[in-house]
Amino acid sequence: MKEQDYILFENYILGDLSETEKNAFETQLKADSKFNDSFNTYKELSSFLEHKFENEAASTAFQSNLENISKTYFEKQDAPIKVIRFKIWQYAVAATVALLIGITVFNNFSSPVYEDFADYNSISLTVRGEQDALLKTAENAFNTKDFAKAEEAFRSLMLIDKDNAELQFYRAVANLELNKFEMAESLLTSLSKGQSAYKNKAIWYLALSDLKQKDYDACLEILKTIPEDADDYDEAQKLIKKLD
Amino acid sequence: MSEKKLHEDQKYIDGLLKNNAFIIQAIYDKFVPKVINYIKQNNGDSDHAQDIVQDTLITIYNQASQKKLELTCPFDAYFFLLCKRKWLNELKKTAHKEVTINEEVLYKGDDAQELAFETDVFGEKQALFTEMFNKLGTACKELLTATFKIKSMEEVASSLGVTYAYARKKKSLCIGKLTELVQESPKFNLLNK
Repeated sequence: MKEQDYILFENYILGDLSETEKNAFETQLKADSKFNDSFNTYKELSSFLEHKFENEAASTAFQSNLENISKTYFEKQDAPIKVIRFKIWQYAVAATVALLIGITVFNNFSSPVYEDFADYNSISLTVRGEQDALLKTAENAFNTKDFAKAEEAFRSLMLIDKDNAELQFYRAVANLELNKFEMAESLLTSLSKGQSAYKNKAIWYLALSDLKQKDYDACLEILKTIPEDADDYDEAQKLIKKLD
Repeated sequence: MSEKKLHEDQKYIDGLLKNNAFIIQAIYDKFVPKVINYIKQNNGDSDHAQDIVQDTLITIYNQASQKKLELTCPFDAYFFLLCKRKWLNELKKTAHKEVTINEEVLYKGDDAQELAFETDVFGEKQALFTEMFNKLGTACKELLTATFKIKSMEEVASSLGVTYAYARKKKSLCIGKLTELVQESPKFNLLNK
């Protein structure tokens, strides 16, 4: 291609050609396959560059987030393999050290903690196509673990839609994360007495609230009321075993 | 083109695009173990698996943000195929040693194959374009970077100390140069078939 061709490509993409020039250009695209190929590649590269520089910040943020998650995940994966490479005498040393540490801080280690059991996932409150800014705010804040902001959004949302069980439940979780137990428990208690799909989940999280406050007896009492058909029944049994 | 139904697993694509940590974590928990297994059974280790998975997710992210990616098959099938292809390519590149690959048909259903193929080609092109962009002269690189970052051609021109007409002409010629570099590469012709 000649220099003039590339200038023409650019003018065509930017819509800067007159009607006659445009028609001539399009005729040439149809007639000259080499011209056509070059134009398509030029266009593809233009859009590649546009994307590359426009989304640089978002793309960098994504990659660093991904890297962190990946690193943590693979470190966990690899951990047991590294242990296997230990020699026998190293085991003995490690075992002795572990035992000593275990004895001194036994109480801390033996108690299960809230973080091990709280297993809520990311939420999706907005319905496809329906654009509600406040729901979006709540969803994004919750999913990025900005629970203070999520709580604020949930509070406003519940002014409009106070009987929405989903909102009540996730607002309770956000409050639990913020250690606002009174608010969390009042929401969960009312859900646990209702008939919504969140009934059993609410009971489970009431137990987790006590767990987080280290009130193990109260936690056990609640755990025992979780019915066998609840999603979290197995987890609840596991926790009961650890607490007993 | 016939309208295909969007698969519910589109949520993984959307989640990646929004940089949603929960979704990324879920992808690792649910779909990555299978990839690790496959790579370990085929001459690789967990470091290789880590790289392949990360690269694949970045390619999916790029395609989704640049071109719209609509999943019409389970994410599992699509993602596994992509990782598998990437790993096989990697082996081809590096291995002079004997490679034993358990090639089996794991997924029927052409949607996954087709989508994985598209994403694969997209990813290869991105890599090639980036490589060629880096081969451009400094002046072109600077001008193009400024052009696409600043948007306003007038501002670009004044920041580089040239006239508007010159900056605009230079932009077309630099993309033209890049077009030639790309078209001359044998890889591009393979990809563009």
